[in-house]
Amino acid sequence: MIKRKLIMIMENKPGALVRVVGLFHQRGYNIETLHVDPVTDFSRYKFIEEKLETKFKENEISRLTITTFVSDSLMRQILRQLNKLIDVIAVSNEETTYLKGVLLDENLL
Amino acid sequence: MLMRALHDEGVELIFGYPGGAALHIYDAIFRQDKIDHILVRHEQGATHAADGYARATGKPGVVLVTSGPGATNAITGIATAFMDSIPMVVISGQVASHLIGTDAFQETDMIGISRPVVKHSYTVFDAQDIPKIIKEAFYVATSGRPGPVVIDIPKDMTAPDKLYDYEYPEKANIRSYNPPIEPEQNQIERAVAAIISANKPVIYAGGGAIASNAFKELFELNEILDAPITNTLMGLGIYPATHKRFLGMLGMHGTYQANMAMHNADLIIAIGARFDDRITNNPSKFSPDAKIIHLDVDHSSVSKIIEADIAVFGQVKNSLEAIIKTLKNNLDDYDSERLKPWHSQIAEWRSSHGLNYELYKDESDNNSILPQAVVQHVYNITKGEAYVTSDVGQHQMFAAQYYHFDKPRKWINSGGLGTMGFGLPAAMGVKFAFPNEEVVCITGEGSIQMCIQELSTCFQYNLPIKIININNEALGMVKQWQDMNYGGRHSESTYQNSLPDFIKLAESYGHVGIKIEKNSELKESLEKAFSMKDKLVFVDVYVDPSEHVYPMLVANDSLENMWLSKDKKT
Ligand SMILES: Cc1ncc(C[n+]2csc(CCOP(=O)(O)OP(=O)(O)O)c2C)c(N)n1
Ligand SMILES: [Mg+2]
Repeated sequence: MIKRKLIMIMENKPGALVRVVGLFHQRGYNIETLHVDPVTDFSRYKFIEEKLETKFKENEISRLTITTFVSDSLMRQILRQLNKLIDVIAVSNEETTYLKGVLLDENLL
Repeated sequence: MLMRALHDEGVELIFGYPGGAALHIYDAIFRQDKIDHILVRHEQGATHAADGYARATGKPGVVLVTSGPGATNAITGIATAFMDSIPMVVISGQVASHLIGTDAFQETDMIGISRPVVKHSYTVFDAQDIPKIIKEAFYVATSGRPGPVVIDIPKDMTAPDKLYDYEYPEKANIRSYNPPIEPEQNQIERAVAAIISANKPVIYAGGGAIASNAFKELFELNEILDAPITNTLMGLGIYPATHKRFLGMLGMHGTYQANMAMHNADLIIAIGARFDDRITNNPSKFSPDAKIIHLDVDHSSVSKIIEADIAVFGQVKNSLEAIIKTLKNNLDDYDSERLKPWHSQIAEWRSSHGLNYELYKDESDNNSILPQAVVQHVYNITKGEAYVTSDVGQHQMFAAQYYHFDKPRKWINSGGLGTMGFGLPAAMGVKFAFPNEEVVCITGEGSIQMCIQELSTCFQYNLPIKIININNEALGMVKQWQDMNYGGRHSESTYQNSLPDFIKLAESYGHVGIKIEKNSELKESLEKAFSMKDKLVFVDVYVDPSEHVYPMLVANDSLENMWLSKDKKT
């Protein structure tokens, strides 16, 4: 198992973070590092505007960086499970990016 | 505002139980006449009833409970719905906003407790948001892979003295949620190519195909393919059980021919099924030669346990339509004649060790009643057309094996969580949805006692359900495992003659009770029970307590290794 990094863009809503953390906990994985920032500079990301109900406002979404030790196949599974969370807008690791159709930018990292 | 939003959402029925934090809502229920509220006797009953309603109709079930113990009592039912991907919206009262976090009377963190067993959850922080939250909650619960959604509402959010502008949104728009609907055509083409070149295909369809209402499409597909087809416990009814290509259920207690066909297949077409451990047994020994096509709406279900060679994401119904269309364009390449050797191999399996009805034909009083025979008689009397709910245990497996479902949404059981206590309240939910249909609950004396209080609800609302209590005077399934794996040591799986008199019990709840102890009474007494159209009849049938469920997969092995009886292995 090697150390892996994944990045998520998610709604900054109460309870959103605990759903992410809970997913790791439930499967018995330790989160090594966890970093959350409100997204203030939207020019960094390309969104598909018509898919957004409203424009993002400041502090409305967060960028989350997690590092953890898991195997390849588990990483893939975790990525898919995270993508399934309703508050997650995009999730990405080195290989795969899930975008749910509102974000254009493949390269979150 | 809440009731109005629920009405605008099309809700007709709520199952619930009142309490302090929900009293404003209950007053609003009293002062309207559009939505019926069903008062259950325990919140677990409310969730299972809403679940049964949802499984039978395809519409979301709705539950209303109060905070604290009301909410925690609902958890088992929410988890049951979650494991089987059943659409449900659970509204829980909460203590007033200013009290949250103070260990107030009847305060529990419902969002926290339910988090691992919901698809999503909402807290109402501003009453103005109620219509939007309701709209979103129903959308999330019913779309994609369905599941339960909890809405926690602090008491002050439903205070009657405050008024708000009300507008019900036409559509839920959640930018971070967009489940796949249409499949990608290139995957469809790869799937069709694999189908065309397979010599030993098997279709393996599960609950996802029912959730997607894909009965017609699946049938149409197999009119072309003419392939053998098996269903999971959750998928029973999605393909007619009496069809000649139907193999029966697969997995732990699946039929010999279904498990053998899966093991020897060169192509498995998985449709809304998730390769769980009751199906694969040991994943490393699972179907060694099969290529896998997996149709599912949920990314995370594919290649989770068994790697899929071809993954088709989308609503199963749409994916099947796309496959049919592409296949029809390539019909010249498809020759179902080449499956003949495969069909004859399967026919051989079926005749050698298929479920053996003849075994149960000696119904003289020298023998005790066999549970399988009870199910067969119920099947015959109801002409195979009843809604059948079940609990968990041997009786559940006998019901799944011996009641042959030709239509989807008629077999209603807790597959994923395996919740004892599910059967009776689920049957109530079905009966509310279809008052003119026959609804049977096949249960065991262990399970029925876990939600027996709902007999009172059945009396209040006059629900003439037929309860068939397959009474083996034991936690039969536990006992079977103890027989097979623990040297027959029956640790805490019998009740030492402490069972209640179920007939008197049923009568004291205002219903009819019938006791059956002899083979010679079986058919006639069951017929009598079913002839009482407007009564709930509790039939207590004493069966052979030593009977086991077979076939049964040998633990941790491949699908071709099964116990066929107490002393016979494949
Ligand atoms: C709530 C709950 N507790 C425990 C179990 C474990 N369990 C599975 S089957 C079973 C025995 C069920 O007994 P009964 O309802 O009489 O059915 P039988 O197997 O005898 O037909 C038990 C205890 C369960 N599935 N659900
Ligand atoms: Mg029993």
